[in-house]
Amino acid sequence: MKTMVYPLITFVLFVVGWYAVSILFEVPPYLLPRPEAVAERIYQDFAFLCHHALVTTYESLGGFFLSIVLGIPLALLITSSSILEKAIMPWLVLSQTFPKVALAPLIIVWFGLGMGPKIVITFLVAFFPVVISSIVGLRSMEREMVELAASMRATRLQVFWKFRLPLALPSIFSGIKVSVAFSIVGAVIAEWVGASEGLGYLLLSANANLDTTLLFSVLAFLTVIGVVLYYAIEYLEALLIPWHATIRLKETTSL
Amino acid sequence: MSVDSVIELSGVTQRYGDLVALQGLDLQVNAGEFISIVGSSGCGKSTLLRLIAGLMPLSEGELRVNDKPVEGPGEDVGIAFQTSALLPWRNVEQNIALQLEIRKLPRARFEHELRRLIDLVGLKGFENHKPYELSGGMQQRVALCRALIHDPSLLLMDEPFGALDAMTREQLNLELQRIWMETGKTVVLITHSITEAVFLADRVVVLTARPGQIAEVVDVPVSRPRRFSGLSAPAFQQACDRVRSLMNAPGLD
Ligand SMILES: Nc1ncnc2c1ncn2[C@@H]1O[C@H](COP(=O)(O)OP(=O)(O)OP(=O)(O)O)[C@@H](O)[C@H]1O
Ligand SMILES: [Mg+2]
Repeated sequence: MKTMVYPLITFVLFVVGWYAVSILFEVPPYLLPRPEAVAERIYQDFAFLCHHALVTTYESLGGFFLSIVLGIPLALLITSSSILEKAIMPWLVLSQTFPKVALAPLIIVWFGLGMGPKIVITFLVAFFPVVISSIVGLRSMEREMVELAASMRATRLQVFWKFRLPLALPSIFSGIKVSVAFSIVGAVIAEWVGASEGLGYLLLSANANLDTTLLFSVLAFLTVIGVVLYYAIEYLEALLIPWHATIRLKETTSL
Repeated sequence: MSVDSVIELSGVTQRYGDLVALQGLDLQVNAGEFISIVGSSGCGKSTLLRLIAGLMPLSEGELRVNDKPVEGPGEDVGIAFQTSALLPWRNVEQNIALQLEIRKLPRARFEHELRRLIDLVGLKGFENHKPYELSGGMQQRVALCRALIHDPSLLLMDEPFGALDAMTREQLNLELQRIWMETGKTVVLITHSITEAVFLADRVVVLTARPGQIAEVVDVPVSRPRRFSGLSAPAFQQACDRVRSLMNAPGLD
């Protein structure tokens, strides 16, 4: 619980700063609503906001899981065969320099306005970090570890399950954490291109109506979703790879 | 060629691309013999060990272990690498037992040996510690146990005691001598310490700097069991001096 104190202090300072700016510079509420107005709006429209938040969360998670389900096996394929690597890697890198967001309108044209196309767009945005960090992780087995396995006459399967995969997990997780953040961005963008519900859609309509209080409420919801998803992954990471150095580091510094 | 020679090298040359790491090595190691290899850093000691272990293909020459050309890692070999190479998610016991798991040997049969080894290297009470909870020297001791647990007849060690303090190092040297005398294993030990090399070995192989060639094989005609208090004996001193002068010889370093 002690670890919650410092972020809370930061939060309070942030709200104080918000007040200070809106009072000192006499910013009109339609540009910068007061914190209590936003809080009140969230309270009043809670069910309404929750409905849209659920839609966005659903799309984010859909694209995110798709990234993992397709990304990790793709990384396995690429690291298991140098021919596949040569065939796929350049295209994968190229696909990254290409602004995938620009594909969003096309995907809406092709697949319509439903949930599916939005998940596809989210997937396109969230996919790459998983693949790249999984590849890096699966390659991270050092020479002496490889030789140790060989000296014990380990089979390919044993090398994979007992050495390579567990050694790759820290890197895979760091990619997953980036990906989960990206997936929310992806979902919001997908909704901007064409949607009738979701937080991204709300952002656009609040913008059109100059309803900044609603805009801020939506931003607050997006932040909460992002934080919850991120920490859910961190929790899972701590469960699965408690031995990982960055986690250990945290334990010792928080003592 | 003698019947009981375990390792036979003739004209062994190893290249990494254009770099010649080892050149024209001829050597025979007899069954039950304790061999130390010394030489300056980068002269090819680890390379030689990797070749004997069957961890990489030979560029040139002939290399036989147990009368068979080396084609891959052997059944009956234990290796302790230059780094401890422990798996961070496994505790001491599990790291040692990895050798058994991978080789599909029944853990129950080796349980007693596992306890004995842990006790022997002074890790009792640390069985359930993870590598990051151990000092560098303790990690190396775990790696040593892992190399010994399946009771291999050939033990290959690459500076296994590098990270230890002088006291522990001498203790483990004595233990290694004891294990070796009890079990009759053939041991090849790489070390940077001339004293350690001479103290433990029947013969010390001195390699020249790159490309690694055998400068000389120095005999250590001292009876067993040897003690550190006996290191001042003339035979020890002569061997140490010889190794030292070979390593300092102009053009060799
Ligand atoms: N995988 C590799 N690829 C290319 N060159 C290598 C490789 N491994 C070793 N070498 C080179 O071969 C030479 C011998 O290396 P080796 O590791 O056998 O030396 P060493 O005697 O064990 O040194 P040290 O005492 O520092 O451990 C070095 O010059 C090194 O740069
Ligand atoms: Mg070496």
